Amino acid sequence: MSNSNFYDDAPVEAPGKTFLDSTEMVLNMGPQHPSTHGVLRVILKLDGEKVLGTECVIGYLHRGVEKIAENRTYAQFNPYVDRMDYVAAVSNGLGYCGAVEKLISAEVPKRAEYLRVILTELNRLASHQVWLGTHALDIGAITPLFYTFREREEILKIFEKYCGARLTTHAFRIGGCQYDAYEGFDREVLAFCDAQDPRLDEYEELLTTNRIWVERTKGVGILSAEDAIALGVTGPVLRGSGVRWDLRKAQPYCSYKDFDFEIPIGLTGDTFDRYVVRIQEMRQSLRIIRQAVAGLPEGPIMAKVPKVLKPPVGEVYHSIEAPKGELGYYIVSDGSTQPYRVRVRPPSFVNLQALDVMVRGRLVADVVAVIGTLDIVLGEVDR
Amino acid sequence: MRPFLDYLHSSVTPGEYGSYLWAVIYILIIFAVASVAVMLMTWLERKILAHMQVRLGPMRVGPHGLLQPIADALKLLTKEDILPDEADKVVFWFAPVWVMMIAFLNYVVLPFGRTHAVTDMNIGILFVLGVSSLSVLGVIMAGWSSNSHYPLMGALRSSAQMVSYEVAMGLAIVSAVLMTSLNSTGTGTLSMIGIVEAQKAAGRWYIFSMFPLGLIAFLIFAIAMIAETNRAPFDLPEAESELVAGFHTEYSGFRWSLFFLAEYAAMIGISSVAVTLWLGGYLRPFPNLLSGHSWDLAFSLFPGLIFAGMALMCLIGAARMPKIPQMKVQTIGLWLFGGVIALIAVVLFLPGVRERVQDIFWFAAKVAAFMYLYIWYRGTFPRYRFDQLMKLGWKVLLPVSLAVLILTALVGIRQDLSTVLMGVLR
Amino acid sequence: MSVAPLLRKIFLVDLIKGLSVTFRSQHPDELITEQYPLERPWIAERYRGQPRMAVNPDTGESLCNGCGACALACPEKLITVTSDRDPVTKKKYMTSYTYDVSRCMFCGLCQESCPTDCIELSQDYEMALYSREGMTLDRVRLEKGPEPTEYAR
Ligand code: SF4
Ligand code: SF4
Repeated sequence: MSNSNFYDDAPVEAPGKTFLDSTEMVLNMGPQHPSTHGVLRVILKLDGEKVLGTECVIGYLHRGVEKIAENRTYAQFNPYVDRMDYVAAVSNGLGYCGAVEKLISAEVPKRAEYLRVILTELNRLASHQVWLGTHALDIGAITPLFYTFREREEILKIFEKYCGARLTTHAFRIGGCQYDAYEGFDREVLAFCDAQDPRLDEYEELLTTNRIWVERTKGVGILSAEDAIALGVTGPVLRGSGVRWDLRKAQPYCSYKDFDFEIPIGLTGDTFDRYVVRIQEMRQSLRIIRQAVAGLPEGPIMAKVPKVLKPPVGEVYHSIEAPKGELGYYIVSDGSTQPYRVRVRPPSFVNLQALDVMVRGRLVADVVAVIGTLDIVLGEVDR
Repeated sequence: MRPFLDYLHSSVTPGEYGSYLWAVIYILIIFAVASVAVMLMTWLERKILAHMQVRLGPMRVGPHGLLQPIADALKLLTKEDILPDEADKVVFWFAPVWVMMIAFLNYVVLPFGRTHAVTDMNIGILFVLGVSSLSVLGVIMAGWSSNSHYPLMGALRSSAQMVSYEVAMGLAIVSAVLMTSLNSTGTGTLSMIGIVEAQKAAGRWYIFSMFPLGLIAFLIFAIAMIAETNRAPFDLPEAESELVAGFHTEYSGFRWSLFFLAEYAAMIGISSVAVTLWLGGYLRPFPNLLSGHSWDLAFSLFPGLIFAGMALMCLIGAARMPKIPQMKVQTIGLWLFGGVIALIAVVLFLPGVRERVQDIFWFAAKVAAFMYLYIWYRGTFPRYRFDQLMKLGWKVLLPVSLAVLILTALVGIRQDLSTVLMGVLR
Repeated sequence: MSVAPLLRKIFLVDLIKGLSVTFRSQHPDELITEQYPLERPWIAERYRGQPRMAVNPDTGESLCNGCGACALACPEKLITVTSDRDPVTKKKYMTSYTYDVSRCMFCGLCQESCPTDCIELSQDYEMALYSREGMTLDRVRLEKGPEPTEYAR
């Protein structure tokens, strides 16, 4: 959409306009709106309650992460990536470490990889739980938020025990993991998994069959598979549209091919399908965690990486399946201790593009539902 | 002075008795009690909602946050009262007053007991319907005068919603009124007390009569009244995640608290209407099954027992408070609170008080159950979308309530539907 | 629509199921709120909180040898170490040390790089202050370590 007359209050000629037609209303949703998940600003062009067009204004949380990378050594930049998608900090770290390891061709020990898988999948659970809570809150169910955060708390406690921080974990280092599993790690993780299954059933009891929930989500924000691919969306949004594409299977990294799990997909690509896909993904994550804990090998957790990292001149792109979609890091090295350029491909940023396609012609309430179902984190959109 | 005191021995409402002084006293008492009930309700809502959400809720102000409503009220009163520059000042000022006035106007005809009502209007239920449809005006005024997008949309939604749910609500009420005429004389009544007395005469609450017609009519009213008071899952006019705060987005401080007060007062008011029409109002439970003098006595002890139980809970809670210096004030507060409640319990056991108060108690208990339902719904359900809400109102509730009305009428003509049908067939 | 789902819909089974979940959650054992100043949260051993410098408990000397590895490792460059060389033993020793907590992101790179395990991130997390002053910790403050706060009500 061209921006030229978007801000104008002047009536835009609509098809079939009669003299009784009223003018359109431009509604500024955000950046301080309860359900724009942070500081997203959406300019809505409305005809009554109907959405004629949207425009996202982003950048309120821009911190110049990519630029910071150019002034930090490879190891120093690691903690910053946690601050992009702060809901899934561990995944961010996994992607970055994987990219640098690819650049210096380091071989990560098996035990470190398994630890990484356990923590990343736990983080996927935590991220999906935040999504479920906030998405339900957007649609008006205020209680699931507290249930999901209760479960997330258990995950964060495991993180805290493992690496000393709850949110911005800085869990992995280039070449492996800094910390080994603490005493009783496997026991605690398995206990969490066992406790999680009935909790997931509880969420489903609250929402999946609830007629209001079904009415609010079924057929809302439909994204066809073609549109999804054309817009470049990834992750559960893409899978909800029925495309079986998961980097963990398509381009296995970090020992993911050792594990047996399925990729849930949706049929119609509406909000309900994406909801089901994410809930199923949580169950699959539990499956992966159980396998990884059972098969956790002994051995070192750190590859031989020089203390002062000077990767060879070259460039690398490495992407992982973060909870929100394909998280890619493109790193150019000029042979010095600091990267020449780091470019992040954030899943939320790309997924947010689909908003306009999904809400055009629908109601204001659906905008909120669709923003929730896209599962964006503004820290990642703006970087 | 004599007639003034004489009223105490009469068995009619002040309105019927013709004592203006007593009417004013009743109005003041009802206003004060309703305001306190609203405050208690906000505390209860926060507490119950918190427990449903595995939280503790307010815990800091007073024991278990009991004084939280007072703290809230103080905060709201001392807050800056912002008047938006672009707002239509007069309307903006008047809207909360109007909403508040309407919310409390209903209380005039609500029968809290056989004699405990301001007046017994012979068109009481019509009055309720008329008054409650006026409250939408205040919402529209608030939304329009704010001169801002979110309030405007909230007001638009609100007006459409309230108007469409009123239809189903009215039809449900009519079917209840119809039931009052199903007696030997065939004369119905629109008076609130009359309706309760009719239920007493019929020996059953209207929710159970003509099963399941009474129940369905009640359910329709129960759904429509949630929509009417803008509560979850029909809280679209103030849908927080969509319209920030809906029609009162621009209000703050005292004005906002008027809206808040009005919302809760309306909730209590409309639940009282539901209780009066279908749940036997101030009648005690099981009027027909467990009748007789000893049962009367047993039921009249209930209020005292409940209060005694509450006092016991407070005292046990106080005894079990952690014995640390930080909790000292709270513990003392809880002891005192428990003591006061115990005192009330003792008073409620006195024979003279017992009979007069138990009406009010049963009424309050039924309304409290409704309040719990309100909170429970809010804690559980997602919010409907606007078009779905309309669909539910016009395509489900309206036809069903019409059908219930017609069936009630048919059954009413001949207590037995089968004879009617046979007659039609023949 | 077949009969069973229709009946389920009329009798509001879906809604009642949801209501029962929230009703069950009211059980007092389910409450998870921590009343913060009264109940302290549980802190893991590896927690990265307020920084502290270790001293040799026997001599009271700082373990820091002034190598500056922590200052180099820190992405935020918020640690400043100055050192001097002892004219007799020709050994480096630390003369001053400042640590600006206000900019720290508690990533833990400094404590990982320290050869003598001198600087470490402790388990104290109550670092809120009313102004930025006092957020720059010097050697004395760091060696004294965090002072747990007592709260009155
Ligand atoms: S924790 Fe990280 S940011 Fe803080 S001083 Fe240490 S290295 Fe620097
Ligand atoms: S604290 Fe450790 S790393 Fe920092 S200067 Fe002292 S010895 Fe070196």
